[in-house]
Amino acid sequence: MRFTADRVSGTLFLALGLALYFLIIPNYVESVTDGNISPDMMPNSLSLILALCGALLVFKPTLHSTQTMRSFAITAAYVFILTAGIYAMSLFGFVYVGPALALAIMLMIGERRPIWLVAGFVAMPALIWFLVVQVLGRALP
Amino acid sequence: MVDLSIILAGFSDAFSLTNLLFVLFGVVLGQFVGAVPGIGPIMAMAIAIPFTFALSPIVAISFLVGVNKGGLVGGAVPAILMNTPGTPDAAATALDGYPLAKQGKPLKATKMALFSSITGDTFSDIVLITVSAPLAVLALKMGPIEIAALMIFTFSVLAGLMGSSLIKGLIAAVLGLLVACIGSDPENFTPRLIFGYWDLFDGLPLPSVAIGVLAISEILHRMSESFGRVRPAIEFVESDDPDHDRVTWAEYWGCRFTMLRGAVIGTILGALPGIGSTAAAFMSYAFAKASSKDPSSFGKGNLHGIAASESANSAVMGANLIPLLTLGIPGSVGAALIVSAFMIHGMQPGPLLFENQGRLVYGLFGAMLMANFLNLWVGQIGLRLWVKVVSAPESIIFSSALLLCFVGVAMATSGLFGVAIMLIFAVLGYLLSSFGYSLVIFIIAFFLGPRFEKSIAQSLALTNGDLTQAYQSPVAVALLILSVVSFFWFLKRNAAVEKKQNS
Repeated sequence: MRFTADRVSGTLFLALGLALYFLIIPNYVESVTDGNISPDMMPNSLSLILALCGALLVFKPTLHSTQTMRSFAITAAYVFILTAGIYAMSLFGFVYVGPALALAIMLMIGERRPIWLVAGFVAMPALIWFLVVQVLGRALP
Repeated sequence: MVDLSIILAGFSDAFSLTNLLFVLFGVVLGQFVGAVPGIGPIMAMAIAIPFTFALSPIVAISFLVGVNKGGLVGGAVPAILMNTPGTPDAAATALDGYPLAKQGKPLKATKMALFSSITGDTFSDIVLITVSAPLAVLALKMGPIEIAALMIFTFSVLAGLMGSSLIKGLIAAVLGLLVACIGSDPENFTPRLIFGYWDLFDGLPLPSVAIGVLAISEILHRMSESFGRVRPAIEFVESDDPDHDRVTWAEYWGCRFTMLRGAVIGTILGALPGIGSTAAAFMSYAFAKASSKDPSSFGKGNLHGIAASESANSAVMGANLIPLLTLGIPGSVGAALIVSAFMIHGMQPGPLLFENQGRLVYGLFGAMLMANFLNLWVGQIGLRLWVKVVSAPESIIFSSALLLCFVGVAMATSGLFGVAIMLIFAVLGYLLSSFGYSLVIFIIAFFLGPRFEKSIAQSLALTNGDLTQAYQSPVAVALLILSVVSFFWFLKRNAAVEKKQNS
């Protein structure tokens, strides 16, 4: 059996379906005695279908191939920056964190030209502040 | 049935000065961002939706219609000039548009795309306006059993048509339905899978999920591709011949049958949930090439090629609203985003929309027609400018789009909790698309999930727990038979495609 993208994702969905059915749904869905449809009926049915489809995919994968590990690693780095940005925004607010986040992303993409850096780092956050606070009269996060 | 006074009131709302200005702003914005490689009309709509929160429903929806229609025109610009279509449906346009631009006629190519796009779009809007109200009356006669059967049929069609395999389509649909279970169950209102986060009791916020899965995940893909290098600006071939910069009436009129055929194909495929504008554009292109006296000129800058693909992919957009407005089923990503906007403004799409909010629906129709005319005028003036826009670097586009998504979702969900959910679904969307699962099926299933469960609960209540009573409804039986037939048909078709690929 070859190691393919579909086999990896199929195994993950098989595991997720089984984990949902045996561990997560019994612990995180309340049960009720009356009513036409139990609250756990839909998630239980869906988790079993998910597990079954995952298993079918493992045994009958398509020819789909996914990105390189390098692409996944780069995306993980961007997600880390964005997560840090959301956390920092909850502490200091958009006005301080927004420009820094924009600058970090532009530098990661490879932008080094001062004019474009200033446009992304200063002009765009200022434009967003003007649009949200001054024009729409709403608060920034 | 909606009476004439409501229709007239709706159109008068649409043609107010405020609305006109917002549609104009939407069209300009849509054309602008559509022309920026990497953004496109869908992402532009996703970013704009939360910002419409402060507007009245008719102005907000009209503005988004403007963005969507403007984006369709703008989206053809990078496809023609750079051979890099921002959206898959513009790929067919690039087949003849790019060779024409390379011959020193970029404005002729973009103008032909503009004219044929507006022709196709107007055709499908007229069909939408004419057929949606009678269809909604029919839809109102459907009870919970028929609605549950209709949703089963929709899922069977969606899964087969949109995924690379039926199993992967089913997984995307099941995952969307599972995510829709988070919150409270629709019958007893007990908390379900909220993991102690009471902010989730009303379910996951639609703007967070939609923007995360559709917009941010795409930005993550693009940023990982362009990591460490800023893509260079493009160079154009200048031409002194004024005929190279315009489309003459004879050229436009010569393409009339091509555009009409494209508009009909786009409208028919657009009315069916899930097929999408890419299939319509390529089908129309194939028909145009097959019926041409000179098929060898296709792919080398034939105006008929541009007219065929643009009229078809634009006609899909108006027709996509037919299942949305009459049945509450979004047939495409754009329609799913319009659902988000409807829900932000307290409206529930479906047949009751015509009864409860008839004025608003006809206001939307008025705005659509107005947007078509504005699209034409703005396009005539703006195309020269949008040609320059395509040279903007991706670094500023992506960083700005991310900040706008953060702020927009924080506004729509009243805090950063919604932004965190957006990021989680962006990662999920990125992984799903990386492994070849359809994001459109996922998001449509997520939207339909609570209604599907509720209709099953209501059907059980009506039949005293015996779902076999469904055979007493001929509509439900017909839909369930169609579901089974389509399921096995797609199974057979996928097997044939797989066999062909392997050989």
